Amino acid sequence: MDTMAKLAILAEAAKYDVSCSSSGVSRKNQGGIGNAKSYGICHTWSADGRCISLLKILLSNDCIYDCRYCANRRSNDIPRASFSPREIADLTIQFYRRNYIEGLFLSAAVEKSPHHTMEKIIKTLTLLRQGYGFHGYIHVKIIPGADPVLVQQAGLLADRMSVNIEQPSEESLRLLAPQKSLPQLYAPMQQVREQIRLNKEDRKRFRHTPKFVPAGQSTQMIIGASPDSDLTILKTTQALYQTFDLKRVYFSAYVPINQDSHLPAPATAPPLLREHRLYQSDWLLRFYHFQAEEIVDVGHAYLERDIDPKTSWALRHPEFFPLEINRASYEELLRVPGIGPKSAWRIVTQRRLAAISADQLKKLGVVYKRAQYFITCKGVCPSNQSFDPLIIRRLLSPPPQPEQMTLF
Amino acid sequence: MDYLYDSSFDGLLTCIYHHYYQQAATGIYPQDHYQLTLLNNSHVVTRNPAYAARVYAAIEEKISPSSLILVYQGFLSSSPGKENLILNYLRLGFRLGAAVDFYHSHPQVQPLHKIARQVTREVHRILGLLRFADQGGFLYAGLSPDHDILTLIADHFAERLANERFIIHDQKRNLAVIYDGQTMPEPELPPQRQWYLIPLDHKPESSLVEEDHYQQLWKLYFDKISIDFRRNPRLQAQFIPQRYRPHLVEFQPARQEPAPKNEG
Repeated sequence: MDTMAKLAILAEAAKYDVSCSSSGVSRKNQGGIGNAKSYGICHTWSADGRCISLLKILLSNDCIYDCRYCANRRSNDIPRASFSPREIADLTIQFYRRNYIEGLFLSAAVEKSPHHTMEKIIKTLTLLRQGYGFHGYIHVKIIPGADPVLVQQAGLLADRMSVNIEQPSEESLRLLAPQKSLPQLYAPMQQVREQIRLNKEDRKRFRHTPKFVPAGQSTQMIIGASPDSDLTILKTTQALYQTFDLKRVYFSAYVPINQDSHLPAPATAPPLLREHRLYQSDWLLRFYHFQAEEIVDVGHAYLERDIDPKTSWALRHPEFFPLEINRASYEELLRVPGIGPKSAWRIVTQRRLAAISADQLKKLGVVYKRAQYFITCKGVCPSNQSFDPLIIRRLLSPPPQPEQMTLF
Repeated sequence: MDYLYDSSFDGLLTCIYHHYYQQAATGIYPQDHYQLTLLNNSHVVTRNPAYAARVYAAIEEKISPSSLILVYQGFLSSSPGKENLILNYLRLGFRLGAAVDFYHSHPQVQPLHKIARQVTREVHRILGLLRFADQGGFLYAGLSPDHDILTLIADHFAERLANERFIIHDQKRNLAVIYDGQTMPEPELPPQRQWYLIPLDHKPESSLVEEDHYQQLWKLYFDKISIDFRRNPRLQAQFIPQRYRPHLVEFQPARQEPAPKNEG
C-alpha cells in the first residue's frame, strides 16, 4: 500500500477527534526545524469549517476494541492500514516545511495491546524529535491501559497529551464501550497531572529539566450518543477541570456512523446546536468564572436552544441587573451578556480616565445589541427599557423560522 | 500646510518632526497620490533619517514602546488616511504619555487602534496561510496580502525554518523577503539581520511551480479530514476569504487543468 492510500484511510479514521489546538506552549527551534507559539496557529479550514492546525492522523486503525460509537471498531468491515514511524515523521516534516501544519496530532487504534501501541507511538515521536530535530507542536493520545512508564516517556516528547473519556457518565460508557471504564481512563490523567506538577517544581530548581507535557492535557466526549443531560455533561466537565487541571474539554456532536440498537439511527442529524451551546457554557466555565450549577440545574437540566447560556442565566437573575457600567467590578461586568473579558478590561481601564457613556460602548467592543438591556451608563438605561426578563427574552430570541438552516 | 512624503516610515516621521518644529501640519499625504487643492498649500518633505530617529526615540520614551509598535503597524496598513490617524494619535500621545492607549474609544486613538488591529490580524492569518513550494534549492511562497506585512512575518519563518532557504514574495507590492539558512557567513558572529527585504517583480516561471508529491498528499489529507455530515462552506469562507485562496494549494483544482493564474 502506498503513502497516498494509507493517508486516505488513516486521515479519514482520525477526523472524529476534535482537538486541533496548537496553543499553550512556546518552544524554541534549537538548531533543527520548527518551533511552537503560545497563541497557536490555524493553517487552513476544511469544508466543514473546522480548523486544521495539526496533521491529525492515526498510526493504525486496526483495533482490538469494539466501542459501539466508533468508526474503527473491530466489527466494522473497513479497509485497515498502518503507518511506520518513519512514514509519519517524513510526512510531518515535509508538510511542516511547506507551512501546511503546525505539528502532529498522533493517535492510534489499539493494535494488539495498549503497550505495543504506546511503544510504537513513542518510537515515532523519538524519531521526529531526535532523528529529525523537530521542535514543532506534538499532541499525542494516551492509550488507556498502557504502562505508566510509557506514558511518562511519551510525555517528555509531546507538548500535549489527551485521553478521551468519550462519555460523560460511567453508565453510558459501560453501555457503549464495554471494554473501557472511567477509572481506567482517569488513571493516566491523574498520572499526567501529578507529573506535570512535579515537573513544574523541578523546573524551578533545575532550569534544564526537560519539559513534561508543557501544553497540558485535554479530553473529549461525544454528545448525543447517550441520553445524558447537559447537566451531567457540564458537571463532568467542571469536575475534569478541577480534578485533573485539564486545559480543554472538547465536545463532539455524534455523527451516526454505526448501525446499533443503543445508538441514534444513522439518519439522525448530529446535534450541532447542542454542541455549540455546550461550548458556550465551557467558555463560561473557563473565562467567565461561572460554576456549572449556575448554568444548568436540576430544574433546567438542558441548555436553552434559542438563547445562549449567558443570556439565559442573566434572564433568570433579574436581581443582578441593570448594572452601572461605570461602577460594576470586573467580575460583575463579565456577567453581562455582550461583554467579554476583553471589553470588560477595556471598560475598567478607560473609566479610570473618564466616565463611559453609552455611545462609547460599541467602540470598546461591547456587543451593544445584547448588552443594552442589562446596563446603565451614568445612571441612564440606554435601551429605555425597564428590566423585564420576559420582554427582553422576546427581543433577544431569534425570530421564529420554519427550519434552522445553518448554525453559525 | 499639507505635508507630502515619500511613503517611507522615515519620511512619515520626518513630517511629524516638521509638524512640531516648523509648521503645524493640516495633514500628511503620500506624495504620489496627492490631489492639489486651492485651499491648502502643500509642501514636499524630504526624508531626513536624523529627524526621523529623533521622533522614533521620542515616541518610545515619551509615550511608550508599545505605542511605537502601534504606529508602525498602522503605517503598514493600506488604509488611505493612515498618516493622519497616526498624526492625530501622536499629537494626543505626546500630551498624555503612556495613558493614551487606555482611551480606547477616543476619536484620536480608536481609529489607529482599529487599523493596527487589521494589520496584526492579517499577520496572524498569514502565518498560517502562507504556503511554501519546494523549488529544489529553496522554498518559495507567493502572497498578495491586504497590508504591507512582509517585515512582520519574516522573523517568524526565519526562526522556524532556520536551516532552509526561502523567498516570501508579496506579488501585490513586488517586494520579497529572502532568507538563507544554509550558508552562514560567520559562525561566531550571529548576523544582525537574518533576512533581507528586496524589490522583486518577476513572478516565478510557471515551470518552477510544479506540483510535487507532498502537495498531492496535502490535498488528499485536506479532503479526507472534513466530516461530510458537518459540511459548512459558509463557516469555512468566514475563516478563509476568497481573496486568500489563489495562493493556497488545497484550494487549487486538480492537476489536469492549466495552472491557476497568479494575481499581482
